[in-house]
Amino acid sequence: MALTLMKGSEAIAEAAIRAGCRYFFGYPITPQTEIPEYMSERMPEIGGCFLQAESEVGAINMVYGAAGTGERVLTSSSSPGVSLKQEGISYIAGAKLPCVIMNVMRGGPGLGSIQAGQADYFQATKGGGHGDYHLVVFAPASVQEAIDIMSVAFDTADKYQCPVMIVADGMICQMMEPVELPEMKEYKVDLEKKPWAANGHGFSKKSGRSIINSMYINTEDLTVHNQNLQAIYREIEANEVRFEAYNMENAEIIVTAFGTVARIAKSAIDDLKEEGINVGLFRPITLWPFPYKELHDAAVAPGVKAVLDVELNAGQMLEDVKLAVNGDTKVDLLSRLGSQMPTPEEIKEKLLSMREVL
Amino acid sequence: MKEVIVLIGNYGSGKTELALNFAFRAARQGKKVELLDLDMVNTYFRLTDRANLVKSHEIRLVSPNFVHSSVETLSLPAEVASAFALDWDTVIFDVGGDPAGATALGRYKEDFDALPEGSLTVLNVVNTRRPMAGTPAKLVRLMRDMGRPSRQAVSGFINNTNLARLARPEDLRYGYEVIREASIASGVPVLYTTGRPDLLETFLSEGHDPAFIGEPMAIETFMHRDWETFTKEGL
Repeated sequence: MALTLMKGSEAIAEAAIRAGCRYFFGYPITPQTEIPEYMSERMPEIGGCFLQAESEVGAINMVYGAAGTGERVLTSSSSPGVSLKQEGISYIAGAKLPCVIMNVMRGGPGLGSIQAGQADYFQATKGGGHGDYHLVVFAPASVQEAIDIMSVAFDTADKYQCPVMIVADGMICQMMEPVELPEMKEYKVDLEKKPWAANGHGFSKKSGRSIINSMYINTEDLTVHNQNLQAIYREIEANEVRFEAYNMENAEIIVTAFGTVARIAKSAIDDLKEEGINVGLFRPITLWPFPYKELHDAAVAPGVKAVLDVELNAGQMLEDVKLAVNGDTKVDLLSRLGSQMPTPEEIKEKLLSMREVL
Repeated sequence: MKEVIVLIGNYGSGKTELALNFAFRAARQGKKVELLDLDMVNTYFRLTDRANLVKSHEIRLVSPNFVHSSVETLSLPAEVASAFALDWDTVIFDVGGDPAGATALGRYKEDFDALPEGSLTVLNVVNTRRPMAGTPAKLVRLMRDMGRPSRQAVSGFINNTNLARLARPEDLRYGYEVIREASIASGVPVLYTTGRPDLLETFLSEGHDPAFIGEPMAIETFMHRDWETFTKEGL
């Protein structure tokens, strides 16, 4: 397979196309504008549809409509734009439709900055919109992982009939790396697998009309609907947890981090290993479902004295890390605010200072 | 006569890298050099990121207004006029990587027109390992699309095909083949082939048609865009 030199955002867009996505609705915002830009060029080439909506609200509702036909649909935005999409995301979750939403996080709150951020962890994993719903949230740490996760994201969305979010940041999207792309996958809506698809076809194969809806005005119906959703979420929690554990053997401290920051932490860990100090990295790849059990096991392993959570926010994943560790091991935080990326040296220093008091 | 080099080309084709290499080469020859960062499209990985390096070579650098303040005002400073008004030996323009970016050039058409015959060279930097530049048809179309807003005709191609840290001589060969077709189709000559010294040497030893190689120019790498270099040296 030939290597291509791609920007993260271009690679993410092409990976979605190769996973069978033929519909993209979006609105430009730095640092992800290259995704819609690439789609605007590429979709017409392959007979797909690129549409720049009048706003993020318009874009997510176009996703809602297109997803209802059973096709593979993508939208992408960055933090402030993703906030605007929340109502639509809640509707899509309520209507049990699959789609993929890309959030290339920047600094916040408000307009914040255009540099990389990680402060949308709560928004992505704890709701964001209204109602009892979850998104499956993937957090790739490299351009290649973002590519590889794209088809997993679409498959997961289809399997559980739920919206899936991929959170990345400006570093991943703006960085240029040689990458290997997967083969092109043609996607055809299979009405046996998606009997709910409202695309005007296959009535004879269906038990009734396909009605896409998130409104259950009768409380008993809404209760059953929510119970069904919760049952799906329990199934996702049981089956879809993904994480990376790095250098865990004989680790004295375990670093928890996701996305770009985890990759920086890895550099610090490699440096310390050369000095004979073992630090492990536990990197959730799915932020929801969070790998609670796996992290707890890692944190209470013999020899582990502390956990250091490193984040580009005030400590959002920290809450899940603490829930996972459940007080059984000391948890410390290295937080950087305002899009100031931590350096490997800073993480190293923090780890060394922790080691002195352990 | 003042030598004016304008570098246009797709994102990631290597315009900024070549702008630095052309500028340093001229400076080494004792020339008075001005370098203009005209990229108003992408605020990441721009010439101004290497401001200190540029200034250490006693090269004057002109950057867009509010550069590095995370404010995208899409405005150029009046200082750009110094490229035409002052007495430089070499002036190099590094332009944003698409038709929208090329628009920045269009505003200076009258100034470019007033340059003496032979002073201006507009170079289209090509890396055929980049996704939107992999076929002759795409190259010709991109060149045409950049020509309209920039109000400039391209003087020649630069084959700068590479895969960053994984670059191999076969990348230059692949670029050579695609650009040769684009050159024949458009009538625009290939003026330079650029690359890391070792890769360039291997490519040149393969006996390709010099008409589609132009002047070979070994380049140094200053713009780091991948992770390994980022964690070691920062952006």
